[in-house]
Amino acid sequence: MRLKLVAASLLAAIILASLVIVVIPGASYSRQDREAPLAGASLHHPAGTDALGRDRLVRVAAALLLSLAGACLASALTTAIAAGMGTLAAFAPRPVGALCMLGCDVFLALPWMFLLMMVRSALPLSASPASSAAITFLVLAALGWPACARAVHRGALNLRCADWMLHARASGLRGIQLARCVIPNLLPLLLPQLLVCIPAFVIAEANLGALGLGIGEPLPSWGGMLLELDNSAMLLETRWVYFPVALLVLVLLLLEAITVEA
Amino acid sequence: MARLPHPRLLFCAAFSLAVSLARPCSAQAAPRLPGELAWTIGYDPKTFDPAKVDDQESEMVRYLTAGVLLRFNRFTQKVEPELAQSWSLSEDGKTVTFRLRPNLKFSDGSSLTAQDAAWSIRRLLSLPVDVAPVAEEFIVPATVHVETPDPSTVVVGLPQRIVGVGKIFDEIAIEPANRPSQARVTSGPFVLADYRRSQYVRLRRNPYFSAVGGAGPALAAGVRLDILENPEQEIRLFERGDYDLIQDLAPDYFELLKRRDPSSVRDLGPSLNTEQMWFNQFPDAPLPAWEKAWFASRAFRVAISQAIHRDDLARIAYLGHATPAYGFISPANTVWFDRILSAPHTDVAAAKASLARAGFRWNGGHLEDASGHAVKFSILTNAGNATRQKMATLIQQDLAALGIDVTVVALDFPALIERLMHTQDYEACLLGLENVDPDPNAMMNLWLSSSPNHQWDPSEKTPATPWEAEIDRAMNLQATARLDSDRKRAVDRVQQIVADEQPFIYLVYPNILVAVSPRLQGLRPALLEPSLVWNVEDLHLAGAR
Repeated sequence: MRLKLVAASLLAAIILASLVIVVIPGASYSRQDREAPLAGASLHHPAGTDALGRDRLVRVAAALLLSLAGACLASALTTAIAAGMGTLAAFAPRPVGALCMLGCDVFLALPWMFLLMMVRSALPLSASPASSAAITFLVLAALGWPACARAVHRGALNLRCADWMLHARASGLRGIQLARCVIPNLLPLLLPQLLVCIPAFVIAEANLGALGLGIGEPLPSWGGMLLELDNSAMLLETRWVYFPVALLVLVLLLLEAITVEA
Repeated sequence: MARLPHPRLLFCAAFSLAVSLARPCSAQAAPRLPGELAWTIGYDPKTFDPAKVDDQESEMVRYLTAGVLLRFNRFTQKVEPELAQSWSLSEDGKTVTFRLRPNLKFSDGSSLTAQDAAWSIRRLLSLPVDVAPVAEEFIVPATVHVETPDPSTVVVGLPQRIVGVGKIFDEIAIEPANRPSQARVTSGPFVLADYRRSQYVRLRRNPYFSAVGGAGPALAAGVRLDILENPEQEIRLFERGDYDLIQDLAPDYFELLKRRDPSSVRDLGPSLNTEQMWFNQFPDAPLPAWEKAWFASRAFRVAISQAIHRDDLARIAYLGHATPAYGFISPANTVWFDRILSAPHTDVAAAKASLARAGFRWNGGHLEDASGHAVKFSILTNAGNATRQKMATLIQQDLAALGIDVTVVALDFPALIERLMHTQDYEACLLGLENVDPDPNAMMNLWLSSSPNHQWDPSEKTPATPWEAEIDRAMNLQATARLDSDRKRAVDRVQQIVADEQPFIYLVYPNILVAVSPRLQGLRPALLEPSLVWNVEDLHLAGAR
């Protein structure tokens, strides 16, 4: 519990600091200082600049906020889908339940990276960077639910056979009335699933960005910034290129710590 | 290196995954043999049959192994006899006569006669053009006649005059008649000795090859071409001494090597290649009518061109290893470059004035057309090419100064090709064009309005605009004119029309960046590919002769 508290506090502090950095008057994640590409740390650019002269600190802060916000929303969505599908499969007639779980298996077997690339290439080209970010996380959510749904299904099956459930049925509860009883009992299962999905989506977005297929420029994304590490020549220019990956690892560790304790 | 009949769009679409340290660093494919040169190629050659070459790495193997009647000297940019002792072109340009050098032999010791040369040419002409693209350069391959009046003379009859016909024979390997050997028996400096898929291609010296001037066989005992796509690994192995040269360095890797050993790298100056963007002017493209009207507007295209800071593209995206471009012919192409070309240079104020004259206006800092549509469009480029994506992002900010909202979209290669070549569903595109031949005749397929490679509006039934019709006329004129001065005038006219109309907005000419081991001797870098190994018979390692 203490580790969870420390991790949550640290994460909150990082998010708060990022918010402050992004809203400071004059801060811009897209402005190019063309006279100072790949500059080192200075008063004007505390974490230096990227290859196009954009402030690295502001970009990392904006990427962190964007990534966490997107991952949290996507995680909530995917958990909701998983809860619905898992519960339906457990409480519906057996053939329907089997069909639902078959759907989960099919989704799990999909080559999701190629699917993401196909979806990305099918998007209208005029989609703004913000839209591309929203769609990226939406697609992640749409593809991320099956594993979670299987866990929910197993938990819901246990509930279905529980004594209190038999009592509830015997008392005449049906449909939505039953669901109202089931969902609160699934919460201890859903909350860890929600928390587990957040770092998974953060890293999925980073992977997609590293392929150059994630969030569009000039919006910063972790994946886009990790692309700098693809190039050993860049690594020698300035050590600040490691800053985004260091922060990403820290944030993932904190999220993991919160998840484990949950 | 031999070339294809038309310029090829360079879609460097190999994915580069995020963290280089995570990449496996496999061991060197094979130990180096004494006196052997070594460098890398990016992928397995698709064929070793010299008549069927259609990819860059197969071209490299053919260049190193093929004996040809005429060789296009990459350094002097002149056609020179190689297996031929002399050659002549008839007055009407329809008959090419070659007289072979005496006592020529293949690598297995058998004699090379006019029959072998004629058989090799006839075989190439008999293959479909999609199998043997070189045949396409004869325009109507089926009507070409090859005769051998005596054992040392070959006469090639052409259906019509062909500009630069000598260079075509640079791509025709002479093989033993009726014994095609997949480069195992050759008349060039090297012969295929060993090939391990995904590992290496090993060539050994042809002891019977004799360079022009009787210089004897190649100085190096052999060549090992390692198949390696990973530039990080290539650089590490080069620094370790496993490779003798790197032919096409990215600017950041050039700087990395320069920092460690300044003498190991060379910037050979602007290449013949161009990086450019263009707007989709295809009439049936699935775009709104108002966008088609912008893209068809000369004032709009010129304004965009004027708003782009090419110096910044060269300085930031290429780390200074590129030259701002204003036309399709690079200044490196000294014969054809138009020194008095008048092209729109960077001038944001002039761009705004031009847009205002064309009916555009600003609303709250955002540009709108006369009917009130906000001007915004996407620039498509290929994912995995960091330099192009940097250029697109720099242009994004440049155009923001005009109040234009630009979206940069990087797509994987198949998706990009689908949009460019089939659906035409794109607004603007940023890509590169590789020019392997300095003669503008090789760009016919790009400039003729009827061509499918006429990228901004492919396969026009008739020229869509008067200036496109004029380009057609000038390109056809340069292809048929007998005098070089007439050809130059026609090509200059095309350069000026393109500069005036900006169907392609040229951005930079990337410089040729190479790395060379200090042990490599006999090097004479050229601007044309293969720039470092064009004189491979003279290359050798110090102390290994």
